[in-house]
Amino acid sequence: MEAAESILRINNIEVKYHEVILVLKGVSIEVPRGGIVALLGANGAGKSTTLKAVSGLLKTEDGEVTDGAIEYEGRSIHHEKAANIAKMGIVQVIEGRRVFEHLTVEENLKVGAHLRKTRSVKDSLELVYHYFPRLREKRNEVAGFVSGGEQQMTVVGRALMTEPKLVLLDEPSMGLAPKLIRDIFNIIMQLNKEQKISILLVEQNVKLALSVAPYAYVMETGRIVMDDTSEKLSQNEDIKDFYLGLTDKGGRKSFRDVKHYKRRKRWLT
Amino acid sequence: MELFLMTLITGILVGGIYALVALGWVLIYKCSGVLNLAMGELTLIGAYVTLTFYEMGIPFILAVVCTLLVGVALGFLTERIFLDKLIGEPILSVIMVTVGLSFFFKGMVEFFWGTDTRVFDPPVFAITPINIGYIKISPVYLWSFVLAIVLLIILVAFFKYTRWGLSMQATADDETAALSLGVSARFVYAAAWAIAFMSAGVGGALLGNINGVNISIGYLGLLVLPAVVLGGLNSVPGAIVGGIIIGILQNLSGTYLDQFFPGGVKQIMPFAFMAVFLLFKPYGLWGWERIERV
Ligand SMILES: Nc1ncnc2c1ncn2[C@@H]1O[C@H](COP(=O)(O)OP(=O)(O)OP(=O)(O)O)[C@@H](O)[C@H]1O
Ligand SMILES: [Mg+2]
Repeated sequence: MEAAESILRINNIEVKYHEVILVLKGVSIEVPRGGIVALLGANGAGKSTTLKAVSGLLKTEDGEVTDGAIEYEGRSIHHEKAANIAKMGIVQVIEGRRVFEHLTVEENLKVGAHLRKTRSVKDSLELVYHYFPRLREKRNEVAGFVSGGEQQMTVVGRALMTEPKLVLLDEPSMGLAPKLIRDIFNIIMQLNKEQKISILLVEQNVKLALSVAPYAYVMETGRIVMDDTSEKLSQNEDIKDFYLGLTDKGGRKSFRDVKHYKRRKRWLT
Repeated sequence: MELFLMTLITGILVGGIYALVALGWVLIYKCSGVLNLAMGELTLIGAYVTLTFYEMGIPFILAVVCTLLVGVALGFLTERIFLDKLIGEPILSVIMVTVGLSFFFKGMVEFFWGTDTRVFDPPVFAITPINIGYIKISPVYLWSFVLAIVLLIILVAFFKYTRWGLSMQATADDETAALSLGVSARFVYAAAWAIAFMSAGVGGALLGNINGVNISIGYLGLLVLPAVVLGGLNSVPGAIVGGIIIGILQNLSGTYLDQFFPGGVKQIMPFAFMAVFLLFKPYGLWGWERIERV
């Protein structure tokens, strides 16, 4: 990846919660402009923490970037407030489909446009309904009561309303039916192509993530343990073994136990 | 029968003003989870500010508009000076601070305006009742009600249709998700205080116009608490209906029960009703039980 082309560069960051709990221990990730990059890893690896460090939401949980740097379009942002980061065009879609449950679907979308200066809110709504026709049908229903898939569409659509340049997507497939997941991922790929939105995608569904993102990072207990093109990663024995369940080695062992792979220690370079 | 109707209607009319104060209360609770126990004093300050403008020769309606503006300014200031630093502290501490604020505000009012009862002079609306069909109603009640309702409609429209209103509701629902879209919770809290100060202040002005202005307006403001709880603490329609119910209860008990329990039955009745009501509906009329889908 050419340095000049990257929209986001996370450079060896360390993150602590409550000043003592060290959760990220040197994480480096680059997202090329207009690209999709996947961030994979087991529960508790620190994927969401990484996204929150970028979006600034970390601060609401008393977390802090204590070392390293985060650069967005060449600008250092890890000391910025979350609201300012959102203004710069970064939006995080928080895991768990966090709709505003007492507002209608359309009101949810309108909140996404609240910083709006340029395009009219109406045009943006049309754009969202173009990608998510289902939301048009549900526009006047209370978001707390629509289906899980429709809620996921609502939060992605709501993020789209901010006219983002970079979307941080946290586990959009969680708890959804396979067919619906495909649909949503197709739309995400379309958004990436047609609206030129760069995406950093966190997923536990590795197969799916590797099929949409050309490049991926693997994370474990606060460190990046591997990164490569998706093609290479999906050929990798350990990934197959541990994440894709394609080999017959059975039982999910920790990635750490897999000895024969020389893991790339990014935090040392 | 006529007495009953008259009491009922007066109750509804006064209830409209309570609804206004209740709305301010709901707003702060909804956005920040804080039960603002200084609400009575916000009402009180509003009454005195309006009175002061009125005594300077400004027409009543304009004085109310000026009070709106002063309320917004004071609300912002209060939030920024006293409460902003407490974001992230336990809610109970913040509620205790609002108790402190209530003493502070009361002290300021006594310092600036003294403790004597003062009236709007010349009277804004005629006191002498006019006949509407069978019943007699003072125009002062009627007009106060109309003003309160107009302001309520404006506020509800603000929440429902403007981007700031929607953002405030969004923050009430999920602060972090709202922040991820660039809605700053700190700004929302400040706006909530500004609007609460404004609606309570106008409520106080209207009450003061009916009863005269003294410290007891603060207690009337506090009397709205049952209305808020009745409505469900975080429901805007709940605040409005709750306010009107309290107005009716208060007037009915004043008319019919006072002879049996002379003294403060008018003041106690709303609280008694609230206690009994909550036994049966612990979330109030429209309070949020978390939406759970099955
Ligand atoms: N607010 C917090 N305070 C303290 N520790 C936290 C906090 N949030 C997360 N952690 C810890 O940080 C580690 C990483 O959490 P994170 O949520 O980033 O993991 P994740 O990779 O997103 O996991 P999952 O796949 O389950 O969402 C976990 O051990 C978690 O316990
Ligand atoms: Mg996570």
